[in-house]
Amino acid sequence: MADVKTVFINGVEYPFDAGQTVIQVAHENGLDVPHYCYHPGLSIAGNCRICMVEVEGDAKPQVSCKLECAPPPWVSEPLRIQTESELAKSARAGTMEMLLVNHPLDCPICDQAGECHLQDYSYQLGQGQASSSTAKTKLPKNVAFGEKIVYDAERCIKCTLCVRFCEEVTETNELNLGGRGDEEIVIMSSKGEFETDYSMNIIDICPVGALTSRDFRFKSRLWFMDFADSVCTGCARGCNVITGGRNGSMMRMEPRHNADVNQWWMCDQGRLDYRYVNTPTRIATPRIKTADGVWAAATVDDAILAAAAALKAAGGNVLVDGGCTLEEMHLAQQLAAALGGKATYAAATGEADGFLRVAEQGANAAGAELLGLARATKAGAAAVLVVERDANVPQALRDGADAVVVFATDADHVPASAQVVFPFGSSAERDGLFVNTDGRVQVAQRNPGIGPDNLTPPYELLEEILGELDAGYDWHGRDGIVAAIQAQPAFAKISLPAAQATAEVGATS
Amino acid sequence: MTAKKKAAAKKASTKKASAKKAAAPAKVVRAADGSYPETRILSANFGVKDSWTLPVAKKNGAYKSLEKAIKTMTPAEVIDEVKTSRVRGRGGAGFPTGVKWGFVPTDTDKAKYLVLNADESEPGTFKDRFLMELDPHLVLEGCLLCAYATGLDVIYIYVRGEYPLSIARLEGAIEEAREAGLLGKDILGKKGFNVEAHVHPGAGAYICGEETGMLESLEGKRGHPRIKPPFPAVEGAFGCPTVINNVETLAHVPSIIEHGGAWFGDLGIAPDPDNPRAMGSAGTKLMGLSGDIKTPGCWEFEFGITVRELIEQYGGGALDGRTIKAVIPGGLSMPVLTADELDVPMGFDALVKVGSGLGTATAIVMDDACDMVEACENIAHFFADESCGQCTPCREGCHWMEKIFTRIKAGDGTPADLDLLEHLFVNIEGRTICALADAAVWPLRSILRKFRHEFLAKMPGHADPHAADAKASDAAAPVGAK
Amino acid sequence: MSTANAAAGQSADRGTAQPPTPVSFPPKEIKKQCDGIVTRYPTRMAACLPVLHVAQKHYGGWISPEVEAGVAEYLGVSDSHIRGLLTFYAMFNSKPSGRHEVWVCRTLTCWLRGAVQLRSTALEKAGVEACGVESPDGKFLVKNMECLGLCEEAPAVFIDGQPHVNVTPEKLSELLDACE
Repeated sequence: MADVKTVFINGVEYPFDAGQTVIQVAHENGLDVPHYCYHPGLSIAGNCRICMVEVEGDAKPQVSCKLECAPPPWVSEPLRIQTESELAKSARAGTMEMLLVNHPLDCPICDQAGECHLQDYSYQLGQGQASSSTAKTKLPKNVAFGEKIVYDAERCIKCTLCVRFCEEVTETNELNLGGRGDEEIVIMSSKGEFETDYSMNIIDICPVGALTSRDFRFKSRLWFMDFADSVCTGCARGCNVITGGRNGSMMRMEPRHNADVNQWWMCDQGRLDYRYVNTPTRIATPRIKTADGVWAAATVDDAILAAAAALKAAGGNVLVDGGCTLEEMHLAQQLAAALGGKATYAAATGEADGFLRVAEQGANAAGAELLGLARATKAGAAAVLVVERDANVPQALRDGADAVVVFATDADHVPASAQVVFPFGSSAERDGLFVNTDGRVQVAQRNPGIGPDNLTPPYELLEEILGELDAGYDWHGRDGIVAAIQAQPAFAKISLPAAQATAEVGATS
Repeated sequence: MTAKKKAAAKKASTKKASAKKAAAPAKVVRAADGSYPETRILSANFGVKDSWTLPVAKKNGAYKSLEKAIKTMTPAEVIDEVKTSRVRGRGGAGFPTGVKWGFVPTDTDKAKYLVLNADESEPGTFKDRFLMELDPHLVLEGCLLCAYATGLDVIYIYVRGEYPLSIARLEGAIEEAREAGLLGKDILGKKGFNVEAHVHPGAGAYICGEETGMLESLEGKRGHPRIKPPFPAVEGAFGCPTVINNVETLAHVPSIIEHGGAWFGDLGIAPDPDNPRAMGSAGTKLMGLSGDIKTPGCWEFEFGITVRELIEQYGGGALDGRTIKAVIPGGLSMPVLTADELDVPMGFDALVKVGSGLGTATAIVMDDACDMVEACENIAHFFADESCGQCTPCREGCHWMEKIFTRIKAGDGTPADLDLLEHLFVNIEGRTICALADAAVWPLRSILRKFRHEFLAKMPGHADPHAADAKASDAAAPVGAK
Repeated sequence: MSTANAAAGQSADRGTAQPPTPVSFPPKEIKKQCDGIVTRYPTRMAACLPVLHVAQKHYGGWISPEVEAGVAEYLGVSDSHIRGLLTFYAMFNSKPSGRHEVWVCRTLTCWLRGAVQLRSTALEKAGVEACGVESPDGKFLVKNMECLGLCEEAPAVFIDGQPHVNVTPEKLSELLDACE
């Protein structure tokens, strides 16, 4: 048996690792082989038949998701694969035609439109003329898969990714196939609800519009939305996500692949956690408390001056939300030092679920510890309070701080003691660095489509206030802040990405 | 036992075997009047009173071959004998049985299984039912010989659920065999030869006759065929090495062991020395007839009888006042033969040569009263109904074809529909995990090409755009042709 | 065959359908039989088909959602797995199947020999329009089955699991009239 270590794809020789399939090597090398039922995180089903390629010398096209690069033992030459030959293309076009013959083609009202692989490959392969004039097969529509997911069997291409996810990833087996032939559909356990808190991942991996999120359905066309790469701040795992927003509202959050952190997945709790961002009591502009006790809207500049004045009088500690960025926490430390106090962080402790979700709820608790912030365990005085999430900084801590300057997302979380209030963007609205539970530094990117217009980044506000305190603080800008953190001994073995780079990472699509 | 006695015993057993050998059925020849006789080896006990019970079966020689193999042959010798016999799988694919057994690993710690394919769901096919109902001990003996040869532990007999009598007879035979020490531990006193057998009832799904669909079904799942490799011999039932054979295939093994592989190999049609793919059709075969003929039934012949001889000499010919129009020679899944293509032997290679296939060797006959468009609709419905739903081209394509035939039947078709069908054939055949889709295309495409005029007759007012090349496309389409 | 829509038992509305209460399975009449089946296989899942056969016979010819859930618990699989089997295999019923289940073979050989007339006769006797629907009086369920393997004596019909061959419409009428 010859030891073949390469495979030719479209005439180009590529090396492969033992056990690798043609589709894997093709994708690794930037070649676009269409696929529906293939997912790198799940077992191979080989049922959609869209990834068929030509193996030179073989009259039958083969599915590249199951085709190993290693030739059979009796062949001593590398396999020669064609992904764009007449045979490969006609095989894929044939499958595409079959996929659409009973598909409702209801793209105008389908939430998947714009990110649908059926649309994408139809566009590439499809024919201009419909060859079927027969009635389409009727299948169940608008089926509830638990509270969060809606299933449409007519759009479904029976790729079984969702079934395999529940079998192999969560091992909860809620989904199965029912029926037979072209009446085959996905069915759900009669318990009616998922046992797993990861069910909504099946919406992401569904290559078509068969599984849609009840939360996101009919909310927005994708092409009107802004997207940004970020991290979920629901717990300290820091699952990599893509935020989606439009006209100031956050519309959804979806996991982004990171092999070391969350693979392709995230929990439903984290995913749906974003809804606090859209609270009707969002703070959009700075406020200053007037003599008659009313928080009146103010300009940013006035608020900075008022805050500095109030702090000069009060002095004391700074208490920040455990979901603040490294930059924000670093500046909180600087501010506390200038005020002659200490910076602490507050974060909730929840329950780990044995998969991704960890007990630590402070998304940047590890970062806070690295910076040397102590964890606030009970109420204590703090002149400055930063609160994004009620869970991390509950009312007892907020009221107990007796703070005069408050950064908050939700007006309901501002304690009565506040003299100056700054709007604090949600995690989807702020650039910055997070250190997750495993000590991995991750970049969150602001999504311009989410939150009030013209929000000044908190690190800018904090620097301005520091400047006004006459404590000899020089304005750094974000790069300078990151450089200052990097210079600390605790960060000697950690490489922080430069702020400049973070902007590129998060380029919106 | 002394060496002398051993030798004597061996001599005696050889003598006994050779004595039997003399009685082995010999090669048949057509009689002067052209009649083709039956050769009853598998079917020797059909019609015998209580043939399915152990006492009767034993009286007729059941388990003698098993005893011979256990006492005088090594497992490897049994496999060699089966290889020598050139017996090919009787379930439709015709793979050499001995070769298949040879794939089973001998150096494994895993359990090994035999899954006997008794899910006889191919339309028009009922031959295995005769074996299971009338000679279940022959079937079980074949299974035990396979178990001995390949060193396996458990036999699962996957019988289609629609065969209640077969299930009952096999369960009865297993019970009798267990009580007689033919199943269980140290079978027939052979230390370490431990085999259990169970009947596993199917529940109505054609696809479970596909060997990996069957494995899924045995494991308690929907019968979705698996992608190969891995092949079942290496990773089959419950992830363990598994032999999968058809009922009739294994029923041949006792007589192969009794009379020798060479004897079996001499029967039937020899391989073509010039064509390595033409592996010949060794031995005898249960053949059947159903449909538009006078006397449908099941008979055993040495390979060599032609389709026409089968129909005329055994099927009683066409029904009164009718003429035979078309024959599907082996179940439903093979390309059709027209009335003037019937002088071909019922054999693996011979039928492939004329663009069809032996399949299960149970022919369905259609006469001039049969509307071929409606027949296509019926056939397409079967495959659409039985498609497991896994692969896109089969799941969507089979029903699509049915809808087109329905449209043509209703008089709403146009010649463009015939082109569309040809387009679908290309995009269905060879594009799926298992062969069900191929099996759907083969009869439909051959009927469409050979009886195109019947389709066009339902499209009055439409001229055939391909009238000029219609002659060319009338030629038989070889199996697997694009 | 309209298996998917109805048999899958999916509710379009949120939270309206209460999960079925699983029956205690296996009931004592079939416990020994079911426990025996389970021992034949290296996995409990493998016992699904034979146990469902036993269960269907015991529970009057069909598997209700409650039985489905009970069998699922017994064999350690999800109830959707069981429903997946019930809707895949033609012999299982996940809807009431009448006091008498009539299978009419529809595949080529029987079709050539008169299966269409047999189906009409059976539907007429049952008083239903289509196969797969229990008759209004709960007496019959007529099912269109693919090849039953009785081709040499076509056309074939099964009534309550018993085969009848060379059936004519007249003979079928008599057979169905004899059903209580």
